[in-house]
Amino acid sequence: MTRFVLFRVAQSLFVVVGVVLLTFVIVRLVPGDPAVAYAGNRATPEQLEAARQKLGLNGSVLTQFQSYLSGLFTGDLGTSIHTRQPVLDDLSRFVPASIELVLFAMIIAVPVGLFIGRFAARHHGKASDIVMRIMTVLAVSFPSFWLALILQTTLASALGWFPIAGEYTSSLDTTSPLHVWTNITIVDAAITGNWPVFVSTFQHLVLPGLVLAVYPIGVIAQQARAGLTDELGQDHVRTVRALGFSPREVVGRFAMRPVLSPILTLIALIFAYSLVNAFIVEAIFNWPGIGRYTAQAIQSLDTPAIAGVTLVIAIIYLLVNLVVDVAQAFIDPRVRVQ
Amino acid sequence: MNRASKAIAVAVAVTLALAGCSGGAVKNAAGGNDTFVIAPSFAVVTDLDPSTAYSNELMAMQNVYESLTRYNSKTKKAEPLLATSWTVSPDGLTWTVSLRKGVKFHTGRAMDATAVKESLDRNRAAKFGASYIWDAVSEITATDPHTVTFTLSYPAPVDLIASAVSSTYIYDVKAAGSGDLSAWFNTGKDAGTGPYTISNWTKGAEIEMKLGSYPDYWGGWSGDHFKNVEFRVTPDANTAWQLLKNGEVDYVDVLTPQLFAQAKKTPSVQTSAGSSFQNLLALYNTKSGPTENLNVRKALQLAIDYSGLVASLDGAGVASSGIAPEGLLGYTPGFEGKTNLKEAAALLKTAGYGPGGKELDLTMSYTQGDDAQAKFATLLVSAIEQLGGKLTATPMDWNAQWDQAKSSDAAQRQDIFVMYWYPDYADAYSWFYSLFHSQKQISFNLSYFDDPKLDAVIDSLPKLTATDRGAAEAAYASLQKTILTDNALASVPFVQASQHVLSDRVGDFVDNTAYPGMVHVYDTKVVR
Amino acid sequence: MTVIVQPASRLPFLGAIPRAIPRDVLSVIALVVLSVLVLAAVFAPWVTPYPADAQGATHPLQALLAPSPAHWFGTDGVGRDILTRVVFGARTSLIVVAAVLLFAIVVGTLSGVVAGFAGGIVRDLIMRITDIFLAFPALLLALALALVLPRGIPTLVLCVAITWWPWYTRLAGSIAASISQRGYVDAARTLGVSSPKIVFRHVLPNSLTPVIVQASLDAGGVIIVVATLSYLGLGVSEPTPEWGLMVQQGQALITTHWWVVTFPALAILVTAFCFNVLGEGLRVSLDPKRVAR
Repeated sequence: MTRFVLFRVAQSLFVVVGVVLLTFVIVRLVPGDPAVAYAGNRATPEQLEAARQKLGLNGSVLTQFQSYLSGLFTGDLGTSIHTRQPVLDDLSRFVPASIELVLFAMIIAVPVGLFIGRFAARHHGKASDIVMRIMTVLAVSFPSFWLALILQTTLASALGWFPIAGEYTSSLDTTSPLHVWTNITIVDAAITGNWPVFVSTFQHLVLPGLVLAVYPIGVIAQQARAGLTDELGQDHVRTVRALGFSPREVVGRFAMRPVLSPILTLIALIFAYSLVNAFIVEAIFNWPGIGRYTAQAIQSLDTPAIAGVTLVIAIIYLLVNLVVDVAQAFIDPRVRVQ
Repeated sequence: MNRASKAIAVAVAVTLALAGCSGGAVKNAAGGNDTFVIAPSFAVVTDLDPSTAYSNELMAMQNVYESLTRYNSKTKKAEPLLATSWTVSPDGLTWTVSLRKGVKFHTGRAMDATAVKESLDRNRAAKFGASYIWDAVSEITATDPHTVTFTLSYPAPVDLIASAVSSTYIYDVKAAGSGDLSAWFNTGKDAGTGPYTISNWTKGAEIEMKLGSYPDYWGGWSGDHFKNVEFRVTPDANTAWQLLKNGEVDYVDVLTPQLFAQAKKTPSVQTSAGSSFQNLLALYNTKSGPTENLNVRKALQLAIDYSGLVASLDGAGVASSGIAPEGLLGYTPGFEGKTNLKEAAALLKTAGYGPGGKELDLTMSYTQGDDAQAKFATLLVSAIEQLGGKLTATPMDWNAQWDQAKSSDAAQRQDIFVMYWYPDYADAYSWFYSLFHSQKQISFNLSYFDDPKLDAVIDSLPKLTATDRGAAEAAYASLQKTILTDNALASVPFVQASQHVLSDRVGDFVDNTAYPGMVHVYDTKVVR
Repeated sequence: MTVIVQPASRLPFLGAIPRAIPRDVLSVIALVVLSVLVLAAVFAPWVTPYPADAQGATHPLQALLAPSPAHWFGTDGVGRDILTRVVFGARTSLIVVAAVLLFAIVVGTLSGVVAGFAGGIVRDLIMRITDIFLAFPALLLALALALVLPRGIPTLVLCVAITWWPWYTRLAGSIAASISQRGYVDAARTLGVSSPKIVFRHVLPNSLTPVIVQASLDAGGVIIVVATLSYLGLGVSEPTPEWGLMVQQGQALITTHWWVVTFPALAILVTAFCFNVLGEGLRVSLDPKRVAR
């Protein structure tokens, strides 16, 4: 197992370098002058040239890439052209907030999705199955901004059950300041026993979390349903049933395991994908996450920022994949043999 | 019920319980009744150095720093702020400015003429953002502790220039001692003279900046002034609207025209509508493509559906007349856009396009994400189609479209370039100098027009504005005739309207067109 | 109850076509709706009330009118009839969805199955290349491609498909890996059946399920991604109607003029659902171990 993990880590490094190189190449391809993001939309040609010199934009792709790599070894991810802050600072501010949101969404999505999938599989072909399927398709095709707006205007504005926007009530910064450990607010609040911030963050997580959870619920439910329906027709399952295990045990203990494999893969994919693609939800709920930062960086052709985000997402994605692969090895012992 | 559904039921119950614990939104939770909460749609701070700040942070800095003068869009004059009066020599080359007494910087140091000279010199030396506005000034001298003399190399309206929204701040250049002043500013400190001072800055947070009141402000604190200002970054217009209705936010600069219409009907909310100094321009390429031909350009001017566009903007834009917007010296009525498709067709025929002739194929770029520009594009595409031609309108990132317009290969450039323009200080000179003066290196003269006679008239404007306003107005009128009527270099589809929304707690709000998107909070009052 | 279980060795593809036509009511409805959509799209100029609105026509003075007998779906920001534009929009959306999904399924499944079955270095190589595509911000990749290639529908399809297939590779790969370890595959190997045959007869058909399920869900997603690209000026440009773009443009008007967003969104939802139902029917029909109930 250790050899497996080490080998995978080595490969992952290769992927990370590949991704970052690709970033530099691609940003060069996209027309536009990154100096504009620094000097402003109304900069004079002299100001633009000065900016280009200052930012080192006149070098070739390879030179820029090399200096970026050497910076990486010292922990310097460069300075964002747009925010003028060190990219590392930007990332350590925004990435934990996004992880907080997406993790919360996945914690909701996985059990709910599996539950719906199992329910639909058990009632395969009946009316309730069809209703479930309609709802899962809705979940996957519904524009997220629309759902966000509906929840916001009804549950927050009209009924006042949840806050309209934000990560937590800002007045708590003075009344109950948070000691930062992981930079993930709700985790820090839990660790340090800061109950007011914990509750406030939880309240603020609910609506955006729900909106983000909808797509994974749909996908997981459909995959679980399809996989389970397949499995339940298998010989070994009928054998187990014939041996006297109850339907619930048949599903839970025997049929579920192989079904989980593609679902685990999906969870990893959706997690990494949602980190950046949550930018609509982040914008609507004033959530200080990485999605908005990335969308902005892409628009400004802010190479250090884009490279930084790509790097972080790549690392997170590879880590999650690694965890999933290891988990799959546990669930399906036959994979381990390889 | 199996375990999974039980678990889910428990989770839902816990969520609702926790939510109910202290409710959702709390009115005025953020800072209390004395706090003015602004909801900008982008992050506030890029650069906190008053000599180079040129972006969103200006909305905060206008409350923390002050300039010598402030423009009053109703009287169309620069009014005293840190300066109390000024005189100009007959040749327009020397300006003598008297300073206000009893002004203190937030660092504690008193403001005097030396401090004014030092900060303005630093602004000029920065060569960034709007520092070019001081190009006419060759030297600034502190003639006595409360008098500053500006010596110019050519005449220019220093009072207007000093009212500009950036590059004009007066601050304590010794605030960082021997350290790097720019770095000092960018840790979240300020050295201004204004009523408010930066009390908290958290980059990337939702409440990005908080301003507290400066007790020794020269204007004093008697009356019902707001004591604090907060900036709550809210990218989505719908969210901002809900926060405003709920009392969590006091000022939103721009919603959507439709939400603004809703706001007008909402009793607990105030609206402020007016014009602005920002207009949309369509610049026609005179050096390549079909637009090289004057008749084609004139046809384009007539093809734009000016009234239809303004109607479809639903209040976000008003009709324009000429290049300079209303409220500025240089605004000339009589240059309103006219739509006449028949005449346009005739002009195209003269140019050789239309049935039996060449096919008209035009390209245009506009800024993606801007609804008004998208509408303009759609309407123009439709009009050109009606004229038997084809217009390809491409939404592009500003950066990309500017790049294309600056290509060294003239054939690559777009035929029509669409952009907004606004002045750095309340003077119509900005349009003419930046957009129509010949340029060795292409910057914003994106019709690429090159005429020394036109250049000469433009170059005479600063002197005339400073010494002979009547002559200046005549010059502006003649310029617009040359640019719009004779050479059809551009069209001005509309002037952006301002549509601000405020909570009912705010009294005495005045929309100052020269400072778009900004509120001088000190000048408002708390209505209890 | 007799159960018919088809052994895994039957070659499903050729014989599957007639079997693949699903028989349950829902699938029939979906087929009918989709056919109506396709027909409407093909005959759009004759079927719609204001066909000019889908090309260059604008009527700014009739902007944002509510649904009425003259305009069943109301008008948009520049006064164009939304019903007409929704029908014309089907042309772009249906073609793009079909093309993207087809590309993604074929490329994704093949690469995933090869990876899962072959194992070892081949698997690692394919999976790492897939990882590079997955870790890279999809938006940036699509942006770069769209700027380099000539504008048009094929480029649009390529841009979206290139960011889409890695998911399928991953999905197919994971299940192919587990199937490759199953008893009957080992048995076939022992018996000397060649690897390609094993892949095509055993591994591939069984790996199709999660891919088809995902694809049947992705139709709506593809349209939304196309919308983002069009919004950024890369895909379809005004005045060509496209559902996702219409939804994007109507976003700001949702609370005040609901119909601008609702009707194109409904079109997306209905189409997505039809694809989903058909996908489900396909999955059931292609399943070699199909249990007759």
